Amino acid sequence: MSRAPRTLAVIDAGGATTSVSLLARIDERWRLTGTLAGPAGIPEAALMSTLAERVRTADAGLGGWPEFQDDALATMPTLAARSRRPGMLLLLGASRRIVGDLETEAVRTGWRFISASTESHDPREMTALALDPDVDVVLIGAGDPPGPDERAALDDLAALGASVARRRPDLRVLVGGPIRARRSWGEALGDEPEGSPRIIDAPPVAGSRSGSHALRAALETLRQDPADGRSGLKAAAASLADLLDLRVELLEVGFDGGARFLAEPGAAGGGPTCRGIVTAQGSLVPPEPDDDSVDSVLAWTTGSLDRHRMSDRLRDLRRRPWVDGAGDGARLRLAAASAALARLAALTPELTARPPADLTVITGGAFATAPASAMVLAVADTVRRTGSTQLAWDHARLLGPIGTIEDADERRSLLADLVRDALVPLGTLVIAGGVGGAPGSRRRARARSGRMMLEVAGTTTPRDLEAGELVFIDLPAGEIVAARLEFSEIVRLGKRTRSVTVPVTGGLGGLIIDLRDVPLNLPERRDRRRSRLAEWGAQAWPRDDR
Amino acid sequence: MTNGHALPGLDLVRLRTVTVGGVEAWFPLQPGDRELASVGETVVPGAPLGERLRDPRTEVAVGPTGADGVPGAWWQGQSVRRPRSGRTVQGELLFRSGGRWRIAAGDPAEPLEAPIGGTVSEIRSGAGIRLRTAARGLLGADTLGGPTSGRLQVLAPRDGHVRASEIDVSGSGAVLVVGSTIDAEAITRARAVGVRGLVVAALGVKERREVMASERRARAGVHGLPPFAILVLEGTIGRPIATPITAVLEAVAGRPVAIVSDPACLLFDDADLDLPVPAADLVRITAGPLAGLEGTWAGLAGPYRFAGGVILEAGWVRLGSSEPVAVPLGDLERFA
Repeated sequence: MSRAPRTLAVIDAGGATTSVSLLARIDERWRLTGTLAGPAGIPEAALMSTLAERVRTADAGLGGWPEFQDDALATMPTLAARSRRPGMLLLLGASRRIVGDLETEAVRTGWRFISASTESHDPREMTALALDPDVDVVLIGAGDPPGPDERAALDDLAALGASVARRRPDLRVLVGGPIRARRSWGEALGDEPEGSPRIIDAPPVAGSRSGSHALRAALETLRQDPADGRSGLKAAAASLADLLDLRVELLEVGFDGGARFLAEPGAAGGGPTCRGIVTAQGSLVPPEPDDDSVDSVLAWTTGSLDRHRMSDRLRDLRRRPWVDGAGDGARLRLAAASAALARLAALTPELTARPPADLTVITGGAFATAPASAMVLAVADTVRRTGSTQLAWDHARLLGPIGTIEDADERRSLLADLVRDALVPLGTLVIAGGVGGAPGSRRRARARSGRMMLEVAGTTTPRDLEAGELVFIDLPAGEIVAARLEFSEIVRLGKRTRSVTVPVTGGLGGLIIDLRDVPLNLPERRDRRRSRLAEWGAQAWPRDDR
Repeated sequence: MTNGHALPGLDLVRLRTVTVGGVEAWFPLQPGDRELASVGETVVPGAPLGERLRDPRTEVAVGPTGADGVPGAWWQGQSVRRPRSGRTVQGELLFRSGGRWRIAAGDPAEPLEAPIGGTVSEIRSGAGIRLRTAARGLLGADTLGGPTSGRLQVLAPRDGHVRASEIDVSGSGAVLVVGSTIDAEAITRARAVGVRGLVVAALGVKERREVMASERRARAGVHGLPPFAILVLEGTIGRPIATPITAVLEAVAGRPVAIVSDPACLLFDDADLDLPVPAADLVRITAGPLAGLEGTWAGLAGPYRFAGGVILEAGWVRLGSSEPVAVPLGDLERFA
């Protein structure tokens, strides 16, 4: 008679690093026994073997299980998620306007993309782009009905797209109805059978017959991969919200993309809901960092690197993302992660407009080496909305693999066992807006703007609050206390108020009271900006060794 | 002993492959470029693989009709722009719309020569040619320009920096190994004196931009510019060339080599060559304050606290005769 497995290996194979965790079923509950990550390319078996050895050393009882012996590791049941390569999408349109509309949709998907229009490129250049072997999918979009700026070039575009499809039988082509209806499309396509699976109807991107984000959904369908951990985060966030009965926001920055999801528990008997995006723009560093990417990282750094030098560092980080995780390298990595979070926030204003989640979970390889309070600061800097949220870190990268479990009950059950082990509490972030009046007003200059009373273990500790300040207060994990905030004027703290009592929980980063501007208002001059960032960073980075 | 490895924990250090055999090199083409070889054809070094347009453009022509009109085919005929002038165009058929063909044309063309012998295994008109070779490839990070070929000459030690004054006509026709870094002025001089290629550990973004701009200017002004390429072994941040790679370069020195871009590597024929094998316990530090140093593996250190309060998995590395130092595993590489 076979016994139910009592060990499980959970693998999250990302683009840059691979994380392996070993679970054991103890007292009818799955527990995390250890986790280890290494650069992509390190054999998973080597990571598992080292981890099992640590289990054997740390716990003789557990280490004595036959499943944790070296010769049994190869047969251990495995739950694995593997990050999918983003793929390259070419956007073609008959006007700059339409291509702009296509970009607006494509940027909110996991695809990397390049684009060209008949207004900006000549036919040879457009054909060259489409024949590039790195391009996986071509999207030829059009308004339905086509706009006046498109009509003159529709025949040319249809013939170009069909000719390229004919020359590259490996290419998938998403084509809009108005393009497909052109005679030149059919003539140029040659012998391609009607209904060929690689020629796919693209929903219109503009015009009276365009749907709400239908094109985005079509593009995501093309990327669907049940083993993709990043896509699995959506289901994991929904299960977490359902399990904890909390509104859960999930922020992920990885090597080839990022994700932001906001999940809410079901109401009136309904299941949990989850909205958000996976986007290639959320990657730590794009494959070819351009000046904008370099500037976006420079904006979060306190060092004195010039643009060329920063570009060198980012290219190096992209090529070998697992290196230089300590010292200056850790700061650079977190600056790049902050830039990626800012891009994610800019792409999801509809989520930022919602009230803050009860729990914000940070995940992804970009945060693997960052100190806890620096992680909290990165979120406070970039995803700015007033209110309070508890923060946690998916340190073992379990959520992606768990999200790939298709059955919602099974997923929820595993998560229920593991949630305490999987999520490391980082603390509570409280952001108040409008403290000290409008930016630039006289009253803002470091005057006392309010007071906080923090009641810990029966003792109330008062603290004055100043406009524009950022306060880190040690509060151990597991501690749940009440913080009463009183201001001399009405501020925004989820709602407009003068005083509010916020339940706060402790964590590795403690309690963070953020009275800076919402959105963050940093000086234009680079030296002043760096000085301001350094001042805040000094509180977040342990043993600041710049 | 752990992990079944002779050196405990060493299999958690990323393995870097120095050379690979049987390289299949891809030579990209653009629409309008013309392939001059055919699939299955065996080519010798210097044989023409194709022609690349220097100044490509789109022409409009009546073009062929019926079955002859296949996108990607080569065509020559009369332009529709000035029919009375009798001007003809030749080029690659792109697509037919409104009864007219769009054709990728241009002139003059530059030859694309095989930098090394092999067999043409794939041709995609307008996209590229794949050449299967029996050569061994020393893998790099990326390549600028190319393809190119020449005799390999070691000009500087593994941690050297080459300046313009160190490059003279003795390097003409050669592929030079220039050590850790090289400045843009030296690259321009190398190009001017007829050096065919450079092998360097690192090349910064600033230098890359200057080189590419200089190359564009040179190509716009000069006809028949010889091929030139830079093989970058590590990336953008200057470090000495790893000793196992230096050993291969020294073993190949004096022999004909080629630089190709896909995969980015230095190709050479190793039929009668005994390549050095790196020591199994040799590890190289790739980042951090000790970047570029090499030592021997002394075991796993486990989670270790580094600068900035960051805790990382680490390994012990013995540098010379000193006590082992802890280095993050991610900052180490070993060789095969």
